[in-house]
Amino acid sequence: MRNFILRRLLQTIPMLFLASLLIFMLFAKTPGDFIDGNITLTAQRAAELKALYGLDQPLISRYLHWLGNLLQGDLGFSLQYQIPVSQLLNQYIWNSFLLATIAMVLYWGIALAVGIVSAMKPYSLFDHVVSVVIFAAMSFPTFFLCLLLIKWFAVDLHWLPVGGMTNTGSDATGWAWVMQVAAHLVLPVVALVMLQAGSLTRYFRASMLDVVRMDFIRTARAKGLRERTVILKHALRNALLPIITLLGFELPGLFSGALITEKVFNWPGAGHIHIDSLAARDYPVLMGFTLFLAVLTILGNLIADVLYAWADPRIRVRS
Amino acid sequence: MATVPNSFKIALLASAVMFSSFGFADDVLKEGITPATDASQVPASAKLRTDTVIAGISEPQGIFNPYFFVNGWDENVTNVIFARLVDWDSQGKLVPGLAESWTVSPDGKTYTIKLRPNLKFSDGSPLTAEDVAFTLTVLYDPKYDGDTDITLAHIAGGDDYKQGKADSVSGLKVVDPLTLQVTTTQPGATTLQKIGGPVLSKAYYGKGYQRGNLDYLRTLHGKPLGNGPYVYDKYIPGQEIRFHANTNYYRGVPPTPRFIYRVTNPSTNFQLFQTGDTDYDAFTSRPDDIEQLKLLGFANINLYGSSDYSKIEFNLKRPALQDAKVRQALIYGLDRQKLIDVVYQGYGTVAIEPISPISWAYNTEGVNPYKFDPAQAKKLLDEAGWKTGSDGIRVKDGKRLELTLLVSKKVLNDALIPIAKEDYQKIGVLLKPQVVDFNALMSQRKAGNYDLASFSTSTLNDPHDGVWDFYSTEAAVQGYHNAEVDKLINEGNATLDIEKRKPIYHELYKVLANDPPVILLGNRKILSASSARVTGFKPDIYNGLTGSLPDVKIVK
Repeated sequence: MRNFILRRLLQTIPMLFLASLLIFMLFAKTPGDFIDGNITLTAQRAAELKALYGLDQPLISRYLHWLGNLLQGDLGFSLQYQIPVSQLLNQYIWNSFLLATIAMVLYWGIALAVGIVSAMKPYSLFDHVVSVVIFAAMSFPTFFLCLLLIKWFAVDLHWLPVGGMTNTGSDATGWAWVMQVAAHLVLPVVALVMLQAGSLTRYFRASMLDVVRMDFIRTARAKGLRERTVILKHALRNALLPIITLLGFELPGLFSGALITEKVFNWPGAGHIHIDSLAARDYPVLMGFTLFLAVLTILGNLIADVLYAWADPRIRVRS
Repeated sequence: MATVPNSFKIALLASAVMFSSFGFADDVLKEGITPATDASQVPASAKLRTDTVIAGISEPQGIFNPYFFVNGWDENVTNVIFARLVDWDSQGKLVPGLAESWTVSPDGKTYTIKLRPNLKFSDGSPLTAEDVAFTLTVLYDPKYDGDTDITLAHIAGGDDYKQGKADSVSGLKVVDPLTLQVTTTQPGATTLQKIGGPVLSKAYYGKGYQRGNLDYLRTLHGKPLGNGPYVYDKYIPGQEIRFHANTNYYRGVPPTPRFIYRVTNPSTNFQLFQTGDTDYDAFTSRPDDIEQLKLLGFANINLYGSSDYSKIEFNLKRPALQDAKVRQALIYGLDRQKLIDVVYQGYGTVAIEPISPISWAYNTEGVNPYKFDPAQAKKLLDEAGWKTGSDGIRVKDGKRLELTLLVSKKVLNDALIPIAKEDYQKIGVLLKPQVVDFNALMSQRKAGNYDLASFSTSTLNDPHDGVWDFYSTEAAVQGYHNAEVDKLINEGNATLDIEKRKPIYHELYKVLANDPPVILLGNRKILSASSARVTGFKPDIYNGLTGSLPDVKIVK
């Protein structure tokens, strides 16, 4: 097991280098730069500024400069926010993380429970009702769903705040602060859960259905085990195997921010940072944030592999 | 993913196109303030805030230094914290701010600025001419990378300081603590507004300042010290910015003790206003939005003209567009009225001059308005030698009249593409639109890789800013050169006397109309609303809402 993990870790190093090169080229080669978008500058001033920011340097030296800083743990300095990229990300990603984690726990829980129950009684009334509800929730355009929730629960009923993370101007600390944040979390979490739970439920159901048709389940039943034990102990563990991969993919999503949901609910998350810095060609932020997500993706895959190996001895032995 | 709201807008546009022929004359909101009809409808939650006024803001980025911010939202924040030496009135005329008065020498090169007595920064320290001189010196620092281009003020000795040939800017002379003399090398109508901006405290920002080292100053972007109506308290990224009233403000302590900017965005800022979470915000000036605001009852609605204009730039390096007749034909051949009606639905006008109708320089008498006239367009193209080919597209010397139009993604362009394509097809011009993002558009334009490019100007505080792009050195990219235009731009910029400048710009606009460098598209209007529980908001494009802050009061 240790060798397995070590080998996978070593494999990530060239992958990260490749990712950094790809990310740099992608953004550096996008037409237009940070200065081009400013139409008020005279040609002379624009040239001066490009020189100040090093944008007049050849690509390769810009890349090496960036890479050199990266290796020292420095993500760079944001052009449009004028603070270090790490500090900028730190301001926003934890808010995204909070929202995404709570939503994820909920929709994984819901999907797991609903998926299993509808797989145990496939094509029953419950299964059909669940399918319809899930597809309805999934098919809502995000933007519309969020506005609808705001209209019902914030504007008409006054139960929950329209948006934001705390009450404006509030100096609440401790428990009062937690309650405020919780109130502001409800609507965006509901929106995210409604949009995400559907596809995951379908995965669980399909995976369970595959497993319960297998011979060893028939054997388990033939042994006279109770249905509960058959499903929860024998079927579920095997059905979860393909799902582990999905869990690994969720990792970058926890930090990247749900763009539309965060925007509509004014949640101070990281979702808009990426879009804003792309529009402004704020290269350090763009590259830093993308690389961070790339690292998380690789890490997520690694974790998935390790978990997979842990859960399924066949993989461990073969590798 | 970000295109979801856009597709919404496209749907709205499509319906607007269908109804555009109806006209909007019946219940168009008048410019100015339309007072609330029923103040009793103010939401209870808003009434609970007895000492605080909350205004919406889109995307502050946390650079709260008036010379270093990158986006206009941070400028809205610094305008609260910092007062200017010279202000604008609602027509864009310069009026005294921190400066009590100023005189300009007869040759228009030397400015003597007299400060009001007893000015103080919010920490109680005195504000003197030394601070003003320090501020202008920083702008000439070789490492200064902000948005203000002080070189356009042509202060004597500025370039020497920048290049390290002198240890101070020789054109800045502190006569006494209340008097600063600024010597420039050439007269300029926009010089006073460039040197009359916000003032940085030398004691606070200038600690240990040496030329070429702005590192310490940069660390203060999040800890501003100013002299405006409010003092900065706290910034919570992505959420809010808090201020309290400045007891040292030179126009007296603002009547509302606390002010907060809350981050909002166009998708829900109406709901936030409706529930009383904000007291003031800006909205899209569309009939639907205005109707909704009216229905609230408690909204004081304010409609005012913006100072920018939208345009399609010609690339004169293309042989076809070198001919003024072709350019004129392209203006005649585009139904701009239809475009403006569709996009602004009654809250915008077709631009006739490169300046907004709210400016003192606006005078359309004798300036060709280029009313939509396809017949005239065809005639001009015929005269220019472009003959209709077999497929309806005009041809000259074996070349077809095909033009690439660069546009970025925004509502105006969503409507422009179909309208322009159809209109130009009818006069025998094939239009090939190319949608790119704004930065890419600008870089492609810089590379000369376009025929037509559509974009808007930024906010124009002086008529000079509206025509500067057509000066031959600035218009080098598009290849526009007209000696008469250059001469008139210089003349218009050579004096501060508005009465002398008016006829110059009027003449300039006539010349520009006959040899057009751009197709002028439209001027838009801006809609904002304030809750009936507060009085004193009277925003205009030159001052935004911050100009009103010293007077904003909560109704008891």
